[in-house]
Amino acid sequence: MLTVRDLRVHFPIIEGLLFNRQVGAVRAVDGVDLDIAQGETLGLVGESGCGKSTVGKAIVRLVPITTGTVRFGDIELSSLEGSQLRHARRHVQMIFQDPYSSLNPRQNVGSIIAEPIRTHDLRQGAAVGQRVLELLDSVGLPRGAANRYPHEFSGGQRQRIGIARALAAEPSLIVADEPVSALDVSIQAQVINLMEELQGQLGLTFLMISHDLAVVHHIADTVAVMYLGGIVEKAAADTLYTDPLHPYTLALLSAVPVPDPVVEDQRQRTVLQGDLPSPANPPSGCRFRTRCPFAQERCAQEQPLLRELQPGHHVACHFAEQLAAERVTAIIVR
Amino acid sequence: MTNEPILSVNDLHVTFQTRGTSALRAVDGVSFDVHAGETLGVVGESGSGKSVTSLAILGLLPKRGVTVSGSIRLDGKELLTATERQLQAVRGRRIAMVFQDPMSSLNPVLTVGRQLTEVLLRHGVCTKREAPDRAADLLDRVGIPSARQRLGNYPHQLSGGMRQRVMIAIALACEPEILIADEPTTALDVTIQAQVLELLMSLVKGSNTAMVLITHDLGVVAGTCDRVHVMYSGRIVESGERHHLFAEPHHHYTRGLLASVPRLDLVGGKLTPIPGSPRDVIDWADGCAFAPRCPSVTEECLGAAPDLVPAANGCKVRCVHPATEPVSLGVTG
Repeated sequence: MLTVRDLRVHFPIIEGLLFNRQVGAVRAVDGVDLDIAQGETLGLVGESGCGKSTVGKAIVRLVPITTGTVRFGDIELSSLEGSQLRHARRHVQMIFQDPYSSLNPRQNVGSIIAEPIRTHDLRQGAAVGQRVLELLDSVGLPRGAANRYPHEFSGGQRQRIGIARALAAEPSLIVADEPVSALDVSIQAQVINLMEELQGQLGLTFLMISHDLAVVHHIADTVAVMYLGGIVEKAAADTLYTDPLHPYTLALLSAVPVPDPVVEDQRQRTVLQGDLPSPANPPSGCRFRTRCPFAQERCAQEQPLLRELQPGHHVACHFAEQLAAERVTAIIVR
Repeated sequence: MTNEPILSVNDLHVTFQTRGTSALRAVDGVSFDVHAGETLGVVGESGSGKSVTSLAILGLLPKRGVTVSGSIRLDGKELLTATERQLQAVRGRRIAMVFQDPMSSLNPVLTVGRQLTEVLLRHGVCTKREAPDRAADLLDRVGIPSARQRLGNYPHQLSGGMRQRVMIAIALACEPEILIADEPTTALDVTIQAQVLELLMSLVKGSNTAMVLITHDLGVVAGTCDRVHVMYSGRIVESGERHHLFAEPHHHYTRGLLASVPRLDLVGGKLTPIPGSPRDVIDWADGCAFAPRCPSVTEECLGAAPDLVPAANGCKVRCVHPATEPVSLGVTG
């Protein structure tokens, strides 16, 4: 349903007082391909600065796309402008990370949720208010919430308001950018369950952007791992977590702590050295080579392409086969 | 491990009072001991009082509007009644702290070297001449490459993980007996978190330093701490050795937390969230603060607050109806 091809988002670096001269570019997203089928959830994981949020924003056209195409059904989102874009956005809505700053503090909840309904002329007159109440029901908030203001709600409840606002436009795709990371641990599960329920009821398609591999494992059907603007591995969720092929995925998985001392004591860890390189000046060849424990000379010269190693399992590493053969298991999956 | 604890917190109460509002009990009768060389985990959500406890130990809470009572003894000496001068001799020298956000806890206008040598000189650990060498050694120990050059860097020139390493180097500069790490990895990415945790563990293991690791992440605690305290609404609700605590949690809050966190090593299943939010608490004076969110609540829970009593597996639990059956993680094979 959603097809992204060779998406690139470069932010110019500008210098000079009088003549703004472009001296370089931050390659936030550098050649990303994604496909999401109807009713599926794609999890996009990576660490901060890898470009995962920029991909989400580029799909909703909140940041300018440098090159590449974003196609949604038969609509070419990447080439639309003005009112056409606004109409198309009804189908693609976004849930933001921070439930504190993404709701207007001076608007009451009813009017926040009613805004997309009015903008897209989905209901008229009294039917708008009725629809707002239905939406509040579906996200598990009391109907009285419509007359209250965002500050009266807790983080989890605000995130529910954000979800209701996204649903108000009756979208088929929802881009959820870190929807639970600002919430307390005991509240995260409530929001995750709500998203799963809504997906079951409304047949929604999700692009779930998160740094939390455990959350993505729980909710996603397919997972794509990003590193420094590119996708390094893409596979069905269960395959990716049990048989990671890219050394970065392996390291990521082994770095996630598991709340079970028995598992923790038995795990083998691949601790990566160093930090993420600057996306303004990415390393030559394979982007991950500066931190990769298996890097060889070829990695510096040749950029590995994302290739299908097993059906449905894509990986961008020259040595994926060898690594798979002599693998160290990151986690013990029971 | 000796039997005498180096740090002993007894019945600590911290109350915030602002004009026109009722008093807020941030910490409500917390007691625990820290022994030399051990790693103690304190787990809780925001508002559970875990950070306030650590600030109280170091005497870093503001004076105005805050009442601290109880006792905090370092090697038998009371810290709560200590003078500011006495506290200054303790902070950084005997008890050091690593804060959550390395950007806002380092001084942006001083070089890393200056901030490191400041601790060394302040506590008279070495002379002014030796200080740069000592500082470079410390940076080297926390795994910062080309340490000597880094001394001249300002915090903004370092990445998040590097800054946290600098914080750790500053904390360890005087080889303290106790290191309090308040959410040391929360602001960091997972791969960097793994690096920093590994560093902290290796530094603590190789010395007699005790570490108090404060976090909201059960996973971090499971892999690192010897003993774990779970806090809820200002009190310790369950504590014990990590293997026992995770294998057989008795308190419904601990169980709820474990069942609501998605786990990397388990497939499928629906998460069982804890209903309500951490704000839905009642005062401990009226019964168990967790009662409004507890699945096994009865009328008894609302009479008087339960005490922290020993349970079968050597853990301690504060609950009227401690659970006995194993946690169902809602998992399919």
